[in-house]
Amino acid sequence: MLYLDLSIQGLVQGSIYALIALGLTLIYGLLRILHVAHAALFTLGGYIGVVVTNHTGNFLLGFISAILIVGLIGIAVYRFAYKPLLDKPPLISLIASIGMFIAAEEIYRLVFGAYGISFSAPPLQTQVEVLPGIFLSHARLLVVAIAVVFMSVLGWLSASTRTGIAWRATVADPEMARSFGINLEHVRYINFFIGSALAAAAGVMVALLNNLVEPTMGAVPSYKGLAIIVLGGLGSVRGTLIASLSLGVIESFGTIYLGHLLDRDAIAFAFLIVVLMFRPQGLLART
Amino acid sequence: MNHFLKNTVLAMALGAATLTAGAHAETIKVGFNVPLTGFAAADGNSALVGAQLAVEQVNSGGGINGDTLELVVYDDQASPKEAAPLAVKLTTQDQVIAGISGSYSGSTRAAATIFQENNTPYISAYAVHPDITRAGNYVFRTSFMGEVQGRAGAKLIGEMMARKRVSLITLSNDFGKSLATGFKEQAGNFGIEIINEYEYSIKDREFGPIVSKVKAENPDAIYASGYFFTAGPLVRQLRAAGITAPIIGQEGYDGQKFIEIAGPDAEGVVITTSLDRDSTDPLATAFIEGFSAKAGYPADMVGASSHTAVLVLAEALKKAGATDKAAIRDAIAATTLDAATGTISFNGLGEVRKDVQVQVVKDGAWHHYAVISDPALLAPPEQ
Repeated sequence: MLYLDLSIQGLVQGSIYALIALGLTLIYGLLRILHVAHAALFTLGGYIGVVVTNHTGNFLLGFISAILIVGLIGIAVYRFAYKPLLDKPPLISLIASIGMFIAAEEIYRLVFGAYGISFSAPPLQTQVEVLPGIFLSHARLLVVAIAVVFMSVLGWLSASTRTGIAWRATVADPEMARSFGINLEHVRYINFFIGSALAAAAGVMVALLNNLVEPTMGAVPSYKGLAIIVLGGLGSVRGTLIASLSLGVIESFGTIYLGHLLDRDAIAFAFLIVVLMFRPQGLLART
Repeated sequence: MNHFLKNTVLAMALGAATLTAGAHAETIKVGFNVPLTGFAAADGNSALVGAQLAVEQVNSGGGINGDTLELVVYDDQASPKEAAPLAVKLTTQDQVIAGISGSYSGSTRAAATIFQENNTPYISAYAVHPDITRAGNYVFRTSFMGEVQGRAGAKLIGEMMARKRVSLITLSNDFGKSLATGFKEQAGNFGIEIINEYEYSIKDREFGPIVSKVKAENPDAIYASGYFFTAGPLVRQLRAAGITAPIIGQEGYDGQKFIEIAGPDAEGVVITTSLDRDSTDPLATAFIEGFSAKAGYPADMVGASSHTAVLVLAEALKKAGATDKAAIRDAIAATTLDAATGTISFNGLGEVRKDVQVQVVKDGAWHHYAVISDPALLAPPEQ
């Protein structure tokens, strides 16, 4: 029973990782940029979700606002920060990204205060018995549901729509895609919008689980997200998904059985090292 | 002598030979390192407000024998690598007469060594690491060491609340570890059986696995160390899983923010700390009112401890004057002062001796629960 409970807790956490890491892997796949500032957009999603919900009393409105606003800001990040650097070595955009991330943390602190903010009336806190003896709050169920729905929609988009095909073609060979009349800029904007919106969704979910959004909320995802996309095989969507969920479960068990030796991050990175020893290309190499 | 000559010349030049000392008040500079940016900025702000309030109170009450006290404030980001150069700057360039830390353990340890090397008195307001006062005889601390508070926690749970089967959830930094050490050292003496101990990192906000395991163990009480930003989510998640056992925390929970994060789940949470909200002592009530007026939010432990640290130093400056650092050190060591956090005195190592305040969350605010006044149990180490 405990094992089942721990596995479920791990899947909840893994779903959050997946929502964050998917945007990272999409952006890396397309532009070869390690988008550290992605974690700042995750935090911003949390802030917008809490602020809008507290002002309107409507959580759904808060959730949708967070996704849309952060998605648009993701486009702006590409347009004004990364696009001018595309012809520079990748290190330059990485440094720009780290700079944006640090600046964003301090901006959140100045705008929203150092103490962090909370929902005045946290929604979806009632418990449901999902399996005999195992209780989950609606909030936790929602995390998993959102991850499943968003991933499925994304999978369908990339497999069955013209936009998805254009995206995959651009990832595979940008020059060839362009010669077939695909608008690369268009694909990149969509890419940043979707990736950032997923991060915002994760931010609102974390706000819901912890009832706390702090300026430094993105600190752990900023590097763990990178570890996850390496683990999954850089740029592989399916690999990222598997890596996120397995990491969630491993951390869940590790916290209980290895917690005295290693903290949660150390467990995650030990797992990363072990996997890379046997599969240097990651769990699923990019196709 | 130099100052005296300058003053005299100035006074004669102004043609005012009968000036009183007050009209020629000197400024006494005191260093204050505090995290104003970075992860600890929230506590840093409370510390600064508490210290500034104390300075205002001292200056409006006649200052230090007529001279005014002034804080030289630097942001150390709670980071040792920031605090060390700042301590050098404070002791050499700014020529402060003494320093106060409104910061966390890492930065305070780094700065304490430098203040000690410069034979400049240094008071840690709320940092808990044992090595801080071991830097030397010029370093003091006005808050409890983690071990001392951990022992108080054991007495609180085992004797006063009569709960015997206890799960420990420990924050794996110097604060949480030293609390756990003190708790485990005394647990047996109060009949406590520790079922299990879990550790988490200061970055964790998601405690699902620990909560599941604690629920399976069904303890009589949970002794969980942390700060408001970890304890708020932890308490919420424990209660959301249907765990009803009492949760006992420490001064890291202390503040309105914890109650805001944990919401209704905060009700009934008990902590060991330094400030009694329901105190009728005029010093404490003046602080509590003054702080919330100045800060815009209710008083907390960090603010109270920083306030106390400044008052301890001010008292020593009044007795010893503001010129001889060795005399100031001796005066601090001999302190017996009533402050908002209780009656303060120091042992040979520079560790504070005072009572532990126990507070409970009731109707969305911290309130009096008990006082632990047990000098033998609460005796800080002498070495």
